[in-house]
Amino acid sequence: VPGGGAPLRLCSTRVAQDGINKPVIDRIIRVDHAGEYGANRIYAGQMAVLGRSSVGPVIQQMWNQEKDHLKKFNELMVAYRVRPTVLLPFWNVAGFVLGAGSALLGKKGAMACTVAVEESISEHYNNQIRTLIEEDPEKYKELLQVIKQFRDDEQEHHDIGLEHDAEATPAYSVLKTAIQLGCKAAIFLSERI
Amino acid sequence: QHYPPLRALQASAALRRVSDEHKKEPLTSSSQQHFDSPPAGHQPEQKPQGPRPSYTGQGGQESEDYESEEQLQHRILTAALEFVPEHGWTAEAIAEGAKTLGLSVAAAGMFHSDGSELILHFVSECNSKLSELLQKEQKLVQLGEAEKKPIDEFLRDAVEARLRMLIPYIEKWPQALSILLLPRNIPSSLNLLTSMIDDIWHYAGDQSTDFNWYTRRAVLTGIYNTTELVMMQDSSPGFEDTWRFLENRVADAMTMSNTASQVQSTGEAVVQGLMGAAVTVSNAETSRAVR
Repeated sequence: VPGGGAPLRLCSTRVAQDGINKPVIDRIIRVDHAGEYGANRIYAGQMAVLGRSSVGPVIQQMWNQEKDHLKKFNELMVAYRVRPTVLLPFWNVAGFVLGAGSALLGKKGAMACTVAVEESISEHYNNQIRTLIEEDPEKYKELLQVIKQFRDDEQEHHDIGLEHDAEATPAYSVLKTAIQLGCKAAIFLSERI
Repeated sequence: QHYPPLRALQASAALRRVSDEHKKEPLTSSSQQHFDSPPAGHQPEQKPQGPRPSYTGQGGQESEDYESEEQLQHRILTAALEFVPEHGWTAEAIAEGAKTLGLSVAAAGMFHSDGSELILHFVSECNSKLSELLQKEQKLVQLGEAEKKPIDEFLRDAVEARLRMLIPYIEKWPQALSILLLPRNIPSSLNLLTSMIDDIWHYAGDQSTDFNWYTRRAVLTGIYNTTELVMMQDSSPGFEDTWRFLENRVADAMTMSNTASQVQSTGEAVVQGLMGAAVTVSNAETSRAVR
């Protein structure tokens, strides 16, 4: 057995913001940033097709809120020195294609996509809230507040989608399942890479 | 990966020579964060075979002069650095280092025979020093006592400061580089390299949250690695050839990024032009059709 010594734990040069669970916070911020970025692109795609239709203003308003969300996560990312996901260029294209594609199915199609995505995101935010509360609600108070607020916003988008006849889309359940599977995969990957 | 404290204590006790003359002040750097009790001021040699300090199992209360295996290794490696120019990154250097701390040369047996841990320890220490340096500079700028440097100058100075730390060990550094590339060491050495580069960009004021984050770090890593290699071959006085090389590479990187943004804006302008032309043509067609 060469050496047989204990493995040496090396000092990282990164200054840990005292006491936070860096790996957990890293993942949370990275995946949320990717999510808001993707949501932005989805709404951009939908606007590109349906911008001048009757649901244009509704989509625009939801898009504006997502832009605010993204801005907030950009700030958090810099503050916590978190690495963005490598897949951003991919989410850029995939999000736009999903948005435009669902919009080409008509207004109801776009709303169905919104419902599916926002439902996934709400559930995802709820999981994160649970994780953070389990860790230490006091330490992560600010982050918890942000995520709770955003979860409420996404829930609102989900309800708006339903109000606009999302469920009347042809093949609604198939579409919804497919999109939600895609979201789960995106979340899984963005947390890690 | 943490060995239970009992084994660590046995190992440490076995290695300690009861000698009061070797209570040297440990040469640890100030920025280690993994250690709960600072080694400075504690006197391990005063407990030869005596009663073990009481502690409660799972990393509970440990007596104040308890030194973890990790802290001991850290002290030995720091002491060993002094002997690297003479012995290279080897078990001999570690053994000599252990001797200066009043420990038996068998202490070198705690480490791999190729000196990997010594090299990784050294790199880690250099990175910490760089981090401290950059932090101090940042404070000065924040207090208004220093000018904020332009990005290319900042990067150049940071890389130069970091590479200068190699100068006392430059003869043996090529050997160290090859050891760092061993598959066994690659995760650690890559980790240290990436966190150093990230630190430099952080203090340079990088706030990118898109793919630029990766591009910038990749470019800087390339600059750092190539400059390091040039430094190995450099025999000019004061390594001036290396610093000139560094300056040119950083300038190249700046040019590249300027060119990239120019290409992007040109591209956007061209697209706008084409759209405008398309609209004009379609209007012309429509008005012709109407006539």
